[in-house]
Amino acid sequence: MTLDPRAQLPPGPRHAGIGAGFVRDCAIAGGAEERLANRLALIAEEVLGAAPANAGLVGLALADRRHSMRLSVDFTASDLDLAGLDQSRRGDIEEGEEIGLYLAARLADRLTTEPLDRGGLRLSFDVGRAYPAMTPDAAPAGLGPISGPAADPDDATLALLVQWAEAAELGGPAFRTAPRVLDQRAQGDLFARVALDARRRPVGGLFWHPFGRRLMELAGPALLLPEGEARAAVAGALLDAALAGLVRKKIQGLVVLEPSPDMPRAGFETVGHLPSADGATWPVLFRALEEDPGGISWVPAVLKDWVTATTRRLALGRDIEEPARPKRATGAAMAAETDRARGRVTLRSLIAAGDAAEVAAGNVALFRDQGFSEIRALLDLGKPDQAAFAEGLVQAGLAPAALIPDAAGDLLLLAAAE
Amino acid sequence: MKDFALDRLVPAHVRAFEAYVPSPPDDVLCRRFGVPQLHRLNNNENPLGPPEAARAMMAAWKPEHAALYPQGDGWHLRRALGRQFDIDPEQLILGNGANEVIAFVIKAFCEPGDNIVTADRTFAVYEWLASFSGVEPKLVPLRDYAFDAAAMLEAIDDRTRVVFVCNPNNPTGTWWTHDELDAFMDAVDGRAIVVADEAYAEFAEDPAFPDSFALMQRHPNLIVFRTFSKMWGLAGLRIGWMAASPDVAATVKKTSISYSVNLLAMEAARAAVWDEAHVAATRAHMREARAGVAELAARLGLTMIGDVGNFCMLRLPVSDTVAHRRLMGRGVMARAMTSFRYPGWLRVSLGPAAAMAAFATALEEVLAEG
Ligand SMILES: Cc1ncc(COP(=O)(O)O)c(C=O)c1O
Repeated sequence: MTLDPRAQLPPGPRHAGIGAGFVRDCAIAGGAEERLANRLALIAEEVLGAAPANAGLVGLALADRRHSMRLSVDFTASDLDLAGLDQSRRGDIEEGEEIGLYLAARLADRLTTEPLDRGGLRLSFDVGRAYPAMTPDAAPAGLGPISGPAADPDDATLALLVQWAEAAELGGPAFRTAPRVLDQRAQGDLFARVALDARRRPVGGLFWHPFGRRLMELAGPALLLPEGEARAAVAGALLDAALAGLVRKKIQGLVVLEPSPDMPRAGFETVGHLPSADGATWPVLFRALEEDPGGISWVPAVLKDWVTATTRRLALGRDIEEPARPKRATGAAMAAETDRARGRVTLRSLIAAGDAAEVAAGNVALFRDQGFSEIRALLDLGKPDQAAFAEGLVQAGLAPAALIPDAAGDLLLLAAAE
Repeated sequence: MKDFALDRLVPAHVRAFEAYVPSPPDDVLCRRFGVPQLHRLNNNENPLGPPEAARAMMAAWKPEHAALYPQGDGWHLRRALGRQFDIDPEQLILGNGANEVIAFVIKAFCEPGDNIVTADRTFAVYEWLASFSGVEPKLVPLRDYAFDAAAMLEAIDDRTRVVFVCNPNNPTGTWWTHDELDAFMDAVDGRAIVVADEAYAEFAEDPAFPDSFALMQRHPNLIVFRTFSKMWGLAGLRIGWMAASPDVAATVKKTSISYSVNLLAMEAARAAVWDEAHVAATRAHMREARAGVAELAARLGLTMIGDVGNFCMLRLPVSDTVAHRRLMGRGVMARAMTSFRYPGWLRVSLGPAAAMAAFATALEEVLAEG
């Protein structure tokens, strides 16, 4: 039972200020710093202000997610025009209300959308906490070989691993800022296995975090031993422990979008390649946890050849079908997750409609103009609606890069490196 | 109805559980994987089918009887089994497959917050049933492919209600001897119910295999599971059973579901009890098929384990889930073992000769692809 503060307010500018005040006060009461509370309040104000008059009562809920705060906004009406959430709609300036939603989307570090029962929509805006800068301690010399199986570490061990990995610049961005990693794990947004030496000191770690509905993305490993057999043994033990901890639950597979050279390749299959800014490509790795019983793949005509060939190469059992056009004529929107530090944006389907191709192309153009160097899109081929975006993405220069298998809906990753 | 807040009505342990999705029927799989037929070597069935008397019973069965309820607790079958094993029929309980009997036992002894102890790499249903009942599954790593008695004893605490020992173990085929099970029961010393799941007991030919019905007399906390799905070739009819000491059986009876075993299953099972010629023929088939897989493993340089039961495991140089898909694309269905916590291993049932030959050819091709 969560005791997150929540409120319901009518849509429109008259109640927007009340919503903003509520969110700000609750955020402060929940321990958020001023900057965070203000950003959340601004989001609430923009969304409420821009919500169409026929939206019905709009639900606001604030949740402390430790490493971030999440403002959820629930629209229960079934047929809303929320196209303003689409960041590419900035051109329609005369429609002031859409600007509000657009702004709100820009204020969040991450915007996710999920359908509610009976046609409603939940928008979740995440704003990250700031962590004080600190200089991480370096690992001591003379760490020993792995002793015993890799395990789910206690907080102190995990923090030590992250500090040592950070000091040596190992493992990639997931292995930075120990307090944030602890918060992410406590929140259930990150999972870890750590290998120890005979003196119970961490000698390596592997992380994973949710990727879509039924997959996890692996990060790392960070290996603290010098190159050699002992180090390879740590990598193998970490992967074994991760697999053992993940099976028999809902997770169907593991994807590795940025394989570290230390990730053991045996046991993974290569499901595609991502281009990098310098023109090189790197493999996208995948490890299924469960048997794939086959499924349906809704594939638009422009991608049919590529998807069919890849489906065959990966020996996936799929009925490949061409989807009908979306029922809704206009109002398509995409959600964008941005990582400004890396110049990366990932687009996902938000609302499918007849103008999806146009909207997709507009999104790509927008982010390209803003100087994003890695533009990606993820389409769930298990959902017939999402195919509508494909044409526009391809026209805008994105190409299929990887097919991540999931019998309930393969994920097609499209990418363009500028 | 305006606001139906489903989550409020669903216990957290059910919400957290992901429903098991069985594989689709063969016609759907054949279409999706583009193959004309599928050899199923994934479910540990008996390729010889049911014994002769059960076949005759089913052939003579009158369809109009489908309109009638079965007798509610397997009166005749329990007596037939009681005579076979010299047990009071009141100590026997039938279920819609041994799977249902697992549920009866967990319901009888566990409440949310309790735990069960079993192995990490064994039949999944103990772990699943416990999880969605709010009961913690404590999973003890196998040691040399076998249940580790010392570590299991260590794992038992004051909230442990049931210890599940899969004997022989699915998927490794390892087993505790009579003396080992006896010693384990002594050490448990009545602190928990111990289930010996003997789904594959009829395949064990070694005289050291436990006579668990005899052990039950010394250890009233021992429950023995058997099934008609494996040796008896009746998997499709869904019938299994358990035996326990009188008081334990009386307790489990409270949480068992009367009438859950259908008429045809009960009659076919009764006709099957206890056809020794069928047992001998099935064992002979398994010996031959196992030798065939051993030869294949040797030729391909693969490690093979398992010498009891109607299955064995092979360690592959590639991902088992990838191999599974590629085998499907060649019309052969084996079990990928990552979900049994054996990544890189494949379990193959010892099926009909034609299926085993198709498996051998397909596996060789798949491994050649690298
Ligand atoms: C060890 C074990 N126990 C129980 C069962 C379930 O048997 P039943 O078909 O009687 O439900 C199986 C089936 O695979 C099994 O392997």
